[in-house]
Parts: sequence; C-alpha cells; structure tokens
Amino acid sequence: MKCQKCGKNNADTHIKRVVNGQFEEHHLCSECAAEMGYTNVFDSFSHSFADDFNSLFGSFFENALPARTQATRCETCGASYNDITRTGMMGCADCYKVFADQIMPTIRRIHGNTTHCGKNSPASKAQPAEKAPAQNTKSELDVLKEKLDSAIKNQEFEQAAELRDKIREMEGE
Amino acid sequence: MSNVVMQTRIRLARNLRKYPFPCRLSQAGKNEVVETIVSAIKNSNSPLANDFDVLYVKDLTEAQRISLVEAHLASPEFISDSAGRAIVLSKDREMSIMINEEDHIRLQILKKGFDLDGAYDVADKLDTLLDENLDFAYDEKLGYLTQCPTNLGTGMRASVMLHLPALQRSKAVSRIAGNLQKLGLTIRGTYGEGSEPQGAMYQLSNQVTLGISEQAAIDNLKNITAQLINQEENAQKRMADSIETQDRIARSLGILKSARLISRDEAMDLLSNVRFGINTGLIEDVEIQVIDKLISDIQPATMIVNKKENLTPSQRDQLRAEHIREVLR
Ligand SMILES: [Zn+2]
Ligand SMILES: [Zn+2]
Repeated sequence: MKCQKCGKNNADTHIKRVVNGQFEEHHLCSECAAEMGYTNVFDSFSHSFADDFNSLFGSFFENALPARTQATRCETCGASYNDITRTGMMGCADCYKVFADQIMPTIRRIHGNTTHCGKNSPASKAQPAEKAPAQNTKSELDVLKEKLDSAIKNQEFEQAAELRDKIREMEGE
Repeated sequence: MSNVVMQTRIRLARNLRKYPFPCRLSQAGKNEVVETIVSAIKNSNSPLANDFDVLYVKDLTEAQRISLVEAHLASPEFISDSAGRAIVLSKDREMSIMINEEDHIRLQILKKGFDLDGAYDVADKLDTLLDENLDFAYDEKLGYLTQCPTNLGTGMRASVMLHLPALQRSKAVSRIAGNLQKLGLTIRGTYGEGSEPQGAMYQLSNQVTLGISEQAAIDNLKNITAQLINQEENAQKRMADSIETQDRIARSLGILKSARLISRDEAMDLLSNVRFGINTGLIEDVEIQVIDKLISDIQPATMIVNKKENLTPSQRDQLRAEHIREVLR
C-alpha cells in the first residue's frame, strides 16, 4: 500500500486515532508520519507498537533468513514465520516455541534482554525459580541500582541510561 | 500535594493459553473468548464480580465508542473493529477489561492523581483472581505471552497523565523526552500529537516489559515522574511572577465564564491555563477537580453520549459554553 499523504513511498505506519470526536485511520510512510509529528518521541497515543515491531523485524531479517524456515508453520495456529514478520504479530503462544530461534534476537533488540523477571502466573504452579540469582551477582546489581537511583535523582540522565544498560545486561543473563 | 499528575493508569496484557491470539482467532473463537472471560469475572472472588457492565462494541453507537476512548477506557485500536470485541467496566469505571483488542485481555486500573502503587495493587489482585479461573499463556523464561512481543514479560504498561504547561511553554519537553527514552520510558501527547499537544497534557509510560519486574518498572516511573513534577512546579513558579502570565490566566478564566460559543480546542487551551493558575495560586476560587471534570465533560463524543442526542458542531459549541459557564458560576 502507498502512503496516503505523499502517494509515493510505501506505507509502513498504521495510525488509528480519535481527533475531536472523530475516529480516523491513516496509512503513512515513516517520513510523512514523522512530518505529522508521529516520531518515536511524540507518536500518537494510538500508534500501534506492532508497526514499529514490523519494521524492526523486517530490516533485521531481510537477508538472514534461510528459505527452509519460511515454509515452517505453527501447528497450533497455522502461522508461518512470514505471517509473523508481515503483521508484526505472533499467532499464538506456541509460536514463541516454534519460531524461538528466529525471534529471540528481535526480542533482545526490543527489550535489551530475553528473560522474564516479575510476577509468575500463579496457576502455572511456578514459584521456585523466583529469587535465586547468585549472591555476588545480586549485590553487584544492587550497587548499580543504587547508582541508577541517585543518577536519576540528580537528573544525570546520560549516566543513568548507561547504568540502565549495564543493569539490563546483568539481569538478562 | 502536587496537581501535576492528573491520573494514573496500569494496564496488564494477558492471553488464554487455549486460544490463538486475536489476530489468528476466528469470529466464533473470539465470541467464545468473550464468554469465557465474562463468566470467569462473574465467578471470581473479586470486587468486580457483582458490579460490572459488559459492553459489546457491535452494540454501541459511534459516539459511544469514541467516548470510551475520550474517557481513556478503550484504545482507538479497540474500537476500530467491532467483531468479537467487548469491554467490561466496573460501575465507577476504575476497573476495565478490553477483550480481544491486541490481546485477549487488557486489564486496566485508572486512578485519579498520582497513585502508581495503589493502582498496581488493585490490578495485581484482580489479575490473580482471574488467573484462578482462566489459564493464562505464560512461559517460565518469557513471562506472560502476548500477541506483540513488545509486551512480553510482565505485560504491564504503567502510565501517568501529566499536565506540563510551563515545561511545554519553555520548550523543555522535547529535550526531556529524548533522555526519557534512554531510561526505558516514552512520553506522548494525550490529546493530539506533535511537540505541543493540546492542553499540555502528556502520557508518560514504561516501554520495556521483559527483564524488569513490575515493581522496578513502577519505581523507575515514579522516580522520573517526581523529577518532572519538580521541574514543572519550579517552571510554573517562575512564570507565575510575570504580568504576561497573570494576564493570560485571568483572561482565560474570563472567557470561560462568559463565552456563548466555544470549540473544544479553545476550551482545552483555556482550561489548561486556568489549571496552571489554580496550581500557582493565581486563581483561588476554583477547585482543580472542577477543571479536571470539565476537561473530560467537554470532549465531543462524551457530550453527545451525555446529552443522549446527536449534536451538530455548532450546537456542541453552544452547549459546551453553557455547561462551562454553569459550572464556573
Ligand atoms: Zn508519505
Ligand atoms: Zn502459533
């Protein structure tokens, strides 16, 4: 689909929004989207994350994907890897297992790591692994977190960003 | 207590293990998901169980749908399609659950003011109670599984709505926004986009959901919000000393009290000025809650729904002016 504003570039940004009592939908190229103020900093309330993910995904795997995996389908929902990159959406919970190898690098790029930390689904009987990081790792992490807190308090945002990267790296391992 | 934070929101994304995500779910499957979730709520031991409304998007008028977005209860994405979508709302609208938006469940807690811990506490309890009756898609390593991998892990978006008239006016918001992104947060205009959103209202929320616990994400957001409050309060104090600011604020209140026709855009700007005036003590005889209520009341679709009849834009402007005069008298 071509961009609805310039009619030239491909539309890769799908915007759904409510403006002054009206529902609007726009398919725009990223340049026109940015011109209208939909940059990643001030993108609209409604700008779908899936679109960001989609372009992220596309560029990352453009040439790297072996032909074989494109034919694989998730048995549960029928999604192919191609479906996932095209829509930016996983088809079902099992897709995360079926396409794990392909999708992990993208997950790492989005979140900076690939390991959940936080609430467990109580029904999934999960509890044991909740708090078991090695003692020395933990204290080092705590020190970094304290530094991060004080950097934020002192509005040293640059330094805070660096600390945050380090913390993520450690937590992700 | 600062008035910079207007409201706090926690959203949790959850999916049922048994069904494909909404993007690959049939119409019949979506209806089944709606029924499964609604009955799980009824049978749950939660405060929501005896006290909720279910609205099916297909049964709503256009104005009713849009008014849900205006009230921050639903997303534009949610109302863009009516098939197999429903929203569950507590009577006071503090708790809501969008069913079959991007995920099977988008549970939301909305609280007035700055109350991230309170909002998360309610969300966490409701989520745990629902989990007893629903089998959520959850993975030991990746956490809660979501249709879009950007929500993986905790599935939590915590956000605060900030009123930043002084930082906006001094062009500081865009500078701050770049730094916020490095800290895993995003800031966007609540109404309208671009660098100067309407009414100087912004939504600040966490971006990363995997590898950071709910509590850590909330603490991070809380810290940064406290910083922004501080900066905004200081900037407001400095500006409030100038006669130009005092004039602008006094005139804004004057227009609101006397206009016979007023568009939403104009009203938003003026209400924002008055809110600034109340916060800095330049206006003493109006309560800030009254202004916040007006800001939600004057949204176009909300007006149509409250009036229970269709209104032309000019009828709306007239009714809006009347309503504001009435409230501020
Ligand atoms: Zn374009
Ligand atoms: Zn699948």
